[in-house]
Amino acid sequence: MEQYVTLTMDGARARVPRGTSVLDAAMEYGICIPHLCHIPYLSDMGACRLCIVEHIENGRAKVTTSCTLRVQEGMVIRTNTEKIRKLRRNIAELLVAEAPNSRAVQDIAVRCGVKEVRYPFRNNDCVLCGRCVRVCTEMWGARAIGFVGRGKERHVDFPFGVRPDFCKQCSSCVDLCPMTITPCDGPMKPGEERLCGKCESQLQVTEQIPDTCVWCDLGMGFNCARQA
Amino acid sequence: MSDQSMAAILEGRTSQPQQLIEALHDVQQLSGYIPQEAMTTLSQELGVPLIEVYRVASFYKAFSLTPRGRHVMTVCMGTACHVRGAARVAEQASAQLGVEPGGTTSDGQFTLECVNCLGACALGPVVVLDGVYHDQVTPRKLGRMIESVRRAESEDRLHV
Ligand code: SF4
Ligand code: SF4
Ligand code: FES
Ligand code: FES
Repeated sequence: MEQYVTLTMDGARARVPRGTSVLDAAMEYGICIPHLCHIPYLSDMGACRLCIVEHIENGRAKVTTSCTLRVQEGMVIRTNTEKIRKLRRNIAELLVAEAPNSRAVQDIAVRCGVKEVRYPFRNNDCVLCGRCVRVCTEMWGARAIGFVGRGKERHVDFPFGVRPDFCKQCSSCVDLCPMTITPCDGPMKPGEERLCGKCESQLQVTEQIPDTCVWCDLGMGFNCARQA
Repeated sequence: MSDQSMAAILEGRTSQPQQLIEALHDVQQLSGYIPQEAMTTLSQELGVPLIEVYRVASFYKAFSLTPRGRHVMTVCMGTACHVRGAARVAEQASAQLGVEPGGTTSDGQFTLECVNCLGACALGPVVVLDGVYHDQVTPRKLGRMIESVRRAESEDRLHV
């Protein structure tokens, strides 16, 4: 028989099976926690840091990623406080600065209420979310790609940079990569970074309802777990 | 790297993935770098996926993936050394050896490296040549250090 635990999320009591992550529990209960690296059928590695929540323990609030946090009996979680929203917005801004040409990243930024990006644009083609590495390793057991290098040099690569013959060419890595979804109006030119009118209008929803799931259109861009 | 030395490194380690780092250290020490074939062999023999071997080898500074020179010269570019003229020392090294920092001379004699602080700031500018620390290095002093290594090597060659 499945064991259930009771926890409090944003003041509401929730009952979910033991072993669930806080992120999954919140999604189940219609609370919106923006997330990028989480894919429901893969393990979580807490790479993007977007899904941060406040975990209240002994009267102290600890900020931690909800995708890697397992539910516990009597846990108290706050998912959308002013502080969390501010931190999350900042993380989203950094993601946009890293990869301004990804619709998925733009959608997340919009959902997090980013209106301007205070960091220089770097136009990297990868935000190191590790989706590709995990799908290759966990779904297919191929282990044809992985993280290579450290610090600034860390990137995703084949062994020795050459596609090995044990790569199954399934292209799951490409399918899951948030970088493969281009902005509505196509790739942006430097100096002309802006959102299309439709995305822009979503910003209002974000402002009015930041914490509950509204089945937003944005979710499709970044594979929101609710839409999957 | 010969098959024998590889076999010696693998001795008692087959199918023990936890031995990966130890084995990589041995390869590094023996060859001065980690050749691709060595990584492939380690992957097969220890039972570690190839990408994992590559990931680990590329992660640690202790492992080099490209052949290194017979002599390794490390110039400190940390703040303390910098204000005392490390930039000029590094320039001298690059010019005299004909390689950029991180590079190895074509004859495989020198590898030039630049690092950010070696933890001996009071002695700056610091240069480490083959594990020996040299303090208050000036471009001239560095020039003499390189010359003496070159001279020692060419004398060795005469005696062989
Ligand atoms: S290549 Fe794409 S899926 Fe892989 S880590 Fe980078 S952004 Fe994520
Ligand atoms: S569909 Fe939109 S509102 Fe709902 S959880 Fe996903 S991102 Fe949040
Ligand atoms: S979804 Fe939790 S850190 Fe990315
Ligand atoms: S700055 Fe050179 S040793 Fe610290």
